[in-house]
Amino acid sequence: MLETLAQAVINGLLIGGIYALVSIGVTLIFGVVKIVNFAQGEFVMIGMYLSFFLATQFAVDPVVSLVITMPVLFSVGVLIQHFLIRRVLGQNDMPQIFLTFALSLLLVNLALMLFSANYRTVHTWYSDEALHLGGLYIPLAKLFAFALAMVLSAALWAFLHTTDLGKAMRAAAQNREVAQLMGINPNRVFCVALGVALALAGAAGSLLMPFYPAYPLVGQVFVLMAFVAVVLGTLGNILGALVASLMMGVAESLGIQFIGADSGLIVVFLMLLLTLALRPSGLAGGRAR
Amino acid sequence: MKGKSFAALALCLGAVLLLALPLLLKSTFVLDIFIRILLFAFIGTAWNLMGGYAKQLSLGHVAYFGLGAYTSTILQVDFDISPWIGMVAGGIVAALASLPIGWLCFRLRGPYFTIATIATAQVLMLVFLKFRDFAWGAEGTTIPNLGNAPLMMQFEAKSAYYYVALGLLALGLAITFLIERSFIGYYLVAIGENEDAAEAIGVDAPRMKRDIYMISAFLTALAGTFYIQYIYFIDPATAFNFSISIEAALVSIVGGIGTLWGPVIGTVLLETTSALLQSWLGSRIGGIQLTVYSLILMAVILWRPTGIMGFLSELHAKHLRAEPAPKPEAA
Repeated sequence: MLETLAQAVINGLLIGGIYALVSIGVTLIFGVVKIVNFAQGEFVMIGMYLSFFLATQFAVDPVVSLVITMPVLFSVGVLIQHFLIRRVLGQNDMPQIFLTFALSLLLVNLALMLFSANYRTVHTWYSDEALHLGGLYIPLAKLFAFALAMVLSAALWAFLHTTDLGKAMRAAAQNREVAQLMGINPNRVFCVALGVALALAGAAGSLLMPFYPAYPLVGQVFVLMAFVAVVLGTLGNILGALVASLMMGVAESLGIQFIGADSGLIVVFLMLLLTLALRPSGLAGGRAR
Repeated sequence: MKGKSFAALALCLGAVLLLALPLLLKSTFVLDIFIRILLFAFIGTAWNLMGGYAKQLSLGHVAYFGLGAYTSTILQVDFDISPWIGMVAGGIVAALASLPIGWLCFRLRGPYFTIATIATAQVLMLVFLKFRDFAWGAEGTTIPNLGNAPLMMQFEAKSAYYYVALGLLALGLAITFLIERSFIGYYLVAIGENEDAAEAIGVDAPRMKRDIYMISAFLTALAGTFYIQYIYFIDPATAFNFSISIEAALVSIVGGIGTLWGPVIGTVLLETTSALLQSWLGSRIGGIQLTVYSLILMAVILWRPTGIMGFLSELHAKHLRAEPAPKPEAA
């Protein structure tokens, strides 16, 4: 019993690392640009397909393909901010919500047209390998994914706190007008925020590929998790999103283990609704918007 | 005054044309498209009451569509109660369900309200997937076919369904018309423009939002009952299909949110496009319909956030300005 519990917690933490990459991106964009990116999951999907094609066409290992998917998605993020999101900033809720929602619909359905709804998988040498610690079973692919996810999160943390650009982003998140008065170019900062967030989503895609199938709707699972984690961890709070994502991974895994195979999502949604009912401003406090 | 009588005339002509349409159409394929247009225009109209006027942008309206569909189907299959009664019962169930759902979701504003509505609709779908003893679980059930039984909302002639859908749309438009012209409409628009400012001048925003959500949920549930009676089958994936939430919002936005005719115009445009795509390309290429929808939606958002109605009223204003203005006196 205790072992099953420990195993479920480990499974949850490992996948929670991936959720963290997605939700940190969502919360970063929300904090800096004040936009909810409904299409964040679709960039995970794009990262997965990119890794899939690199693996099948050029025999690049999915985890190694990070070095390609991250810069590609960074550029996509910059372009999306510059040509799409910039045009709706300062408008009311409708365009701000439905622009990225339309983008999400577009990407899912383009993927459906181009790649069909079939599941695509990549098999690597470590896909079936696992570490055995006592009675516990730790799949190697998930361990790699979790470790790299934590490294990337730490790197983002360092970037935001030590570099000038990172500090400018945090300043813009706190108070856009004052930051602008201090000589910070908002559009440049927003472009970087979008770029970084999408690069993280792309990284999540690459890291998932060795143990998770790619299909057009794959992003929806991750984006729903991210939305819940972002509310739970207080909107715009990166550390909050990270901790909440790990918690959600564990909650989902416990739900699957002790309630039933398809109950993971119910547990997650119930967590969202409970959070809304009891503590709408999230666990870290602050104001909900 | 002249404009008003012209509008009334156009409305009468349109009504006569719509009433006569099934007599003129021989193809059931085309009639089916018209029924879809009427149905989605009605769902869009219901969405628009809350999403358009009060700007509470829900993407979870399928929750009420599904509740209406399941209420009437359970009453019909298990208790032999006519779907006409079931339809109203479903509406009441949906209106009541909107109270706790609204209580939760209205704690958030803007995009996070939207996400919370998605989550509640998903939870409801999962609940109906799980409860197999109570509502047939994932397999769903077919509606017993009684042949021509108008009292059980079953008709042999497709045109009868057309008239039911037309009646629903007329109901939705009439309610919107009344609300738009009453103090409620102005309160809702005020909330949509700036909720804090509206509250500051004495609008009871939480109550107004709750009430309009109930009305919107009630109407959406009627559409759910009708749709299931029309296709003779129900399962959670059909009754709680996310694409219904999407289409409800899309037709309103493309047509022009917060306007009486916006959802109707939006549905005509989107459903016609979809039907044309289907007849040109066949339904072989999955995803093409929503690809085109999302491109239209993006174009509207980037260039014309007020939708087609906004575009038309701009044209109208330009036309008025183009009329020869009284010449200023020469000095």
